[in-house]
Amino acid sequence: MLQKDVLVIGAGPAGLAASIEAGKYGASTLLVDLNMQPGGQLFKQIHKFFGSSAHRSGTRGYDIGKQLLQEAQEANVEIWMQSTVIGIFPEHKVAIEKGLDSGKKEMITIQAKKIIIATGASENAIRFNGWTTPGVMGAGAAQTMINVNHVKPGQQIVMLGTGNVGLIVSYQLMQAGCDVVSLIEAAPKIGGYAVHAAKIRRAGVPIRLRHTIIEAKKGENGCVCGCVIAEVNEHFQPIPGTEETIACDTIALAAGLKPTMDLVKLAGCKLTFNGPFGGYIPLHNDRMETSCLGIFVAGDTTGVEEANTALEEGKIAGISVAEDLGLISPDTASNQRKEIWERLHSLRLGPFGERRMQEKEAVMKEYETCIGAPIPIQ
Amino acid sequence: MALINTGYLEYDELKNIQTLPDDERFSKGPVAIIECVQEIPCNPCEAACHFGAIQVGEPITNLPTLIGEKCIGCGMCVARCPGLAIVVVDKTCSDTTATVSFPFEYYPIPTVGEERKALNRKGEIVCSGKIVKVVNPASYDHTPVVTVEIPKEFADEVRTVERV
Amino acid sequence: MSTELSDDMIVCRCEEVTVREIKEAIHEGARDIVGVKRRTRAGMGLCQGRTCEKLVQQILVQELGIHPKEAGTSSARPPVRPVTFGELAKGEVL
Repeated sequence: MLQKDVLVIGAGPAGLAASIEAGKYGASTLLVDLNMQPGGQLFKQIHKFFGSSAHRSGTRGYDIGKQLLQEAQEANVEIWMQSTVIGIFPEHKVAIEKGLDSGKKEMITIQAKKIIIATGASENAIRFNGWTTPGVMGAGAAQTMINVNHVKPGQQIVMLGTGNVGLIVSYQLMQAGCDVVSLIEAAPKIGGYAVHAAKIRRAGVPIRLRHTIIEAKKGENGCVCGCVIAEVNEHFQPIPGTEETIACDTIALAAGLKPTMDLVKLAGCKLTFNGPFGGYIPLHNDRMETSCLGIFVAGDTTGVEEANTALEEGKIAGISVAEDLGLISPDTASNQRKEIWERLHSLRLGPFGERRMQEKEAVMKEYETCIGAPIPIQ
Repeated sequence: MALINTGYLEYDELKNIQTLPDDERFSKGPVAIIECVQEIPCNPCEAACHFGAIQVGEPITNLPTLIGEKCIGCGMCVARCPGLAIVVVDKTCSDTTATVSFPFEYYPIPTVGEERKALNRKGEIVCSGKIVKVVNPASYDHTPVVTVEIPKEFADEVRTVERV
Repeated sequence: MSTELSDDMIVCRCEEVTVREIKEAIHEGARDIVGVKRRTRAGMGLCQGRTCEKLVQQILVQELGIHPKEAGTSSARPPVRPVTFGELAKGEVL
């Protein structure tokens, strides 16, 4: 059985940042990811990032991805792509279906002193009549098609949801040459940043608030040929008589994300329910360690936020495992974590961030009161 | 705020939230208009300006503030703002016309001399415009800054041109 | 045109479970996502509930008037992603 100091699961911004920190302090670090390319969502983020100019803001997501891959290489991080973790077992043994260069797969078990789970999040589905019709897809899927695979999902798009994902993907669909017919939002206000909404409006695209999609229309080819929208009341229930049909060939759903929790659950980490963060999430402390000794989490797995916060949380997890492995002193680790928490604090300010800061603090407080210190796995 | 219901601000609403140049400043030449009105954690505009004309400070959720006297209307911030929320307006280019320089991330990129319909913040056609400048160096990282010349009376309304 | 959601609508695509079947499971006593999963197989297919878990949660919330927290979350078992028997058989034994 292969032995590693650190196994990081998920090569998105959180996992990359964590493995760079662990690797650069000398831990033998293996990063595994089931996708073809590392970077997680970064390589489909063709827009310039918000945030602090001292930390790569104003840089496009894919360029941040390239920088991180370079740093991972310099930190001697071993990366296995197309490699899927199928189970976490006692004594930190992890079963991985490793993708080989030949295209074949091989089952390998790794024993790691420390495990960092950074498996991200997945898109929420929304049900309406005909939601399983070809042409209905997650906004993230549409974004992967245009920005990674360079294929348009369709020509006329209706976007459900006006959070930042709905707004940004709508803009990028237009950049890719699609017509975004309309954005539909059940809430009485636009969910995402005004500057993103402004780009959509400047392009002449209507945003229909207090509306929802009630049906996907199926055409002769079996695919989406339109959707029926209706106004909703204050309980978000469609109001009969307000139905309207919009012609489109694609319906993209931007209805939020939920943390990918299967490995966290398998490891036996204590969970808490947190609505704003997307549902059940692992409790963790300010070192990003879960209730299970030696198992850390970072990024959207700990509550859906954004690439910036995922990067910073990943760094904290990486620094903490380096500390626990005796590669850096507790003082150094503590000082570095303090700096990062200050940056995270500034990213979680303002009308969009305050709530997330409160929730994050609540999660860590619950950890302190319910768990206190990480528990060795039986 | 109308913005979260409509996705755009009327110029009068914008004036109440952002520090916009006054008539005297407009009479002196090109100047940046910052249409960033929500406290989001973002400050690359501050670093983009070589003249110290944009202040965000701490915390980085502060709204950016333009110091009109320091701004030379160079447009560095226009390309750098991740929200594409800054334009440069020059009301001094002729007696009857003004120019608006804005970020434009769609293909085909307008070319100098081309006529394109000029649009306001809600995507409505305001007037016809003539493209007078397109700046797209590597440092702008794929955010070309396009300058359109339009009748002066529309300088506070026009914010982009149509996609073709 | 109707604003009503059809009970024939598929909720779990992998196992082809409809809204009606989920509602029946709830009326038979299912009180959370695991209960619905055991009775209907919703969430037991290829994607392991990655798509339908949230939808099942919404139906539970709606039918029982409970908080989403009370609907719980499904338990995870290895393998959490599909893997062939051949690979499992050839692989290292833990």
